[in-house]
Amino acid sequence: MRITQRAIVTTSLQGLYGNLAAVNKLQQQLTSGTTISRPSDSPTGTNSAMYTRQDMAGVAQQSRNITDGIAVLSSTDSALADILDQVQLARSLTVQALNTGAMNDQSSQAIATQIAGLRESVLGQANQVVQGRPLFGGVAAGSMAYDAGGAYVGIGGANGIAVQPVTRRVTDVETIRVDITGPEAFGDPASGKDLFSVLGNIVADVSDPTALSGHLADLDAVINTMLTARADVGTRAARMDTAETVNAGRELTLTAQLSATQDIDLPKTIMELNMQQTGYQAALQATAQVIQPTLLDFLR
Amino acid sequence: MSSTFSGLSRASSALAAQQRALDTTGQNIANVNTAGYSRQRAELQSVGGSIVPATYATGDGLGQGVTADTVTRIRDAFLEGRAQTEHAATASLTAADTTLAQIEDAFREPGTTGLQSQLDAMWASWSDVASNPTEPAARGAVLERTSTLVAGLNTTSATLDQQWAHDLDGLTTLVADVNASLTAIADLNQAISRTNAAGTPSNELADKRDVLVLALADQIGATASLNPDGTLAVRIGGATVVNGSSAMTLKVAGGSDPAAAATDPPRLVTAPGGTTVVPGGTASGLLTAMTTTIPEYKKKLDDIASQLAGQLNALHQQGYDLDGNPGGPVFDGGAGSTTVNADGTTTVDLSKVTAATIRLAVTSVDQLAAATLSPAAAGGAPAKNDGGMADAIHQLRLGTEGSDASYRKMIVGLGVQAASAASKLAAQSVISAQVDSSRESVSGVSIDEEMTNMLQFQHGYQAAGRLVTAIDEMLDQLINRTGRVGL
Repeated sequence: MRITQRAIVTTSLQGLYGNLAAVNKLQQQLTSGTTISRPSDSPTGTNSAMYTRQDMAGVAQQSRNITDGIAVLSSTDSALADILDQVQLARSLTVQALNTGAMNDQSSQAIATQIAGLRESVLGQANQVVQGRPLFGGVAAGSMAYDAGGAYVGIGGANGIAVQPVTRRVTDVETIRVDITGPEAFGDPASGKDLFSVLGNIVADVSDPTALSGHLADLDAVINTMLTARADVGTRAARMDTAETVNAGRELTLTAQLSATQDIDLPKTIMELNMQQTGYQAALQATAQVIQPTLLDFLR
Repeated sequence: MSSTFSGLSRASSALAAQQRALDTTGQNIANVNTAGYSRQRAELQSVGGSIVPATYATGDGLGQGVTADTVTRIRDAFLEGRAQTEHAATASLTAADTTLAQIEDAFREPGTTGLQSQLDAMWASWSDVASNPTEPAARGAVLERTSTLVAGLNTTSATLDQQWAHDLDGLTTLVADVNASLTAIADLNQAISRTNAAGTPSNELADKRDVLVLALADQIGATASLNPDGTLAVRIGGATVVNGSSAMTLKVAGGSDPAAAATDPPRLVTAPGGTTVVPGGTASGLLTAMTTTIPEYKKKLDDIASQLAGQLNALHQQGYDLDGNPGGPVFDGGAGSTTVNADGTTTVDLSKVTAATIRLAVTSVDQLAAATLSPAAAGGAPAKNDGGMADAIHQLRLGTEGSDASYRKMIVGLGVQAASAASKLAAQSVISAQVDSSRESVSGVSIDEEMTNMLQFQHGYQAAGRLVTAIDEMLDQLINRTGRVGL
């Protein structure tokens, strides 16, 4: 083949372009820190990067949901604990009122007043509002689960309306319920034997030992319901804690996965860039030396 | 016995021929860096003696010297033809590769600025509403992020439209350029045929014409064939556009915006006649982009927008808003895309929802239907703290037939297509470069060669000069020193 100066120049340029393009690509990877800057860099990598990013967005959201759920559950738990303490106090007062021999009208009245006060206080706590939602009011709007008379005004669990659980999404496939409705925690108002009715009855019948012992049995039943509710809330809080750990682990895994998919291997890329640069310089030097001399340099 | 002075005429023919060859070498050296220049060679030919025997002819059987009448252009017609084909293929693939790269740019994936992350943000905001249905901030976030997504879809669609318009602009400019080149080739054809008739060399004109033809091959995939009279016939996709000294004009026909182009695709036609020409080269790449590639991705994006609107609206319309009213559509396709039914519900015509027209139909945060429980089922009052529907909407992102999955599929498809276009272009560029280098090795000027030729011709000239001197001395002997015995 006949080789001319221009042919050499053309081929050299082609090679130099190739070298420079490789240097450029590596430099781009180094400065952006990612090996996939457009889908065509690696279609499969793009797919898994997009998948992982979507999962990461989901996990970040679920982590927020879990934190929020834990807050709601612990508020519920402490509200139930406070109420239980006061109900226990009301129970011992009721037992005291049943000691007929030791009681006169005045002391009965005093107990009645005290229990009435406890009922008010318990009612207040049962109307606690967290994040704009009455803790025991189901999905009801507003700030009340029970009205001033102790009637349930929440939605769900009473009045023929099924319980509509308030949940937090903790994984793509799992939700955990974070609320407990008034009827579930304090007894069904329809039966007339929920906490507030029973306390009301005790206050009304404080000096009637026969009725009072019936109410005491009712109160014990309510206390049992409340204990079950508290245990239920506790179990759910434990599930939330597990979900939190799982979620945190998943977040780490996903981050590692995304990094493995699209982040550059720094030492490798730097090495490659150095090699490529050396190659480019060699090519430049060789080209300069080949193009320069012609027969002209050797003729006088 | 030959004539006394015949030696001189032989020597002078040698001087003239060597000088011509030296001049040709000079021309070659002068054009060593001229694009499209083919090296030339003076064809030296020995002149034979008289071959017609006559009664008193006195031929000595020797030739009558040398002649350098013709100067030929050294080029390989086969390689030129291949160069035209390969250049056209390279240009066409380059246009295809550029188109796909621009579409990739329009989608900005994978990353934190693309539609995927806008979708993710929107879905996440629904989960916040599911957690805190009465919180105005959470509801506001849904509206904000949904508007961002809608703007993202609108912008991406508009970017694709812009790209289409740029391609059409490019094609129109290219065709104007092509028309100028066609006329120039026709003019050169005429000049060359006249020069040939006059018997003078037309090498430089032919070089100029070849450069134009190769540029046409790049631009529009033209091929050329040489006619016996030295003119070139230029064809584009089988249609002859230059023949002899007459040239046709081309123009771009078809719809001038993406919507009109759906029914009336852009194409190239001959200006008188209106016959469709199937081009190659850059023009074919641009036409494919405008008729296939860009509309294909626009359609996919439109489908995703319509799918998103359909799925989200369907769920949202089953839910109840803060006031206990059934939810309306979240997305519509602008004015005229919705009809209000007799029962007060709204139906969105999904065929009118595209990436360009999609619009957020919810105006107030209260209208977001987060609840699954109807006020009737909740005993009359709206179940404001029910976030069941918001969670169901949040879960839409996971659907295997959902907009997220479709979008991902589209991006991966785009990646595969762009990667294969890039590797095809890389392979084609190598072929094209090889053909160019083969052409160069035939037609290019080698300085080394010219230098040796120069020495050769210079020595030839010197030798011819010496011959004149020898003959001169011989004649001097004959004329001045003969017959002088005894003087």
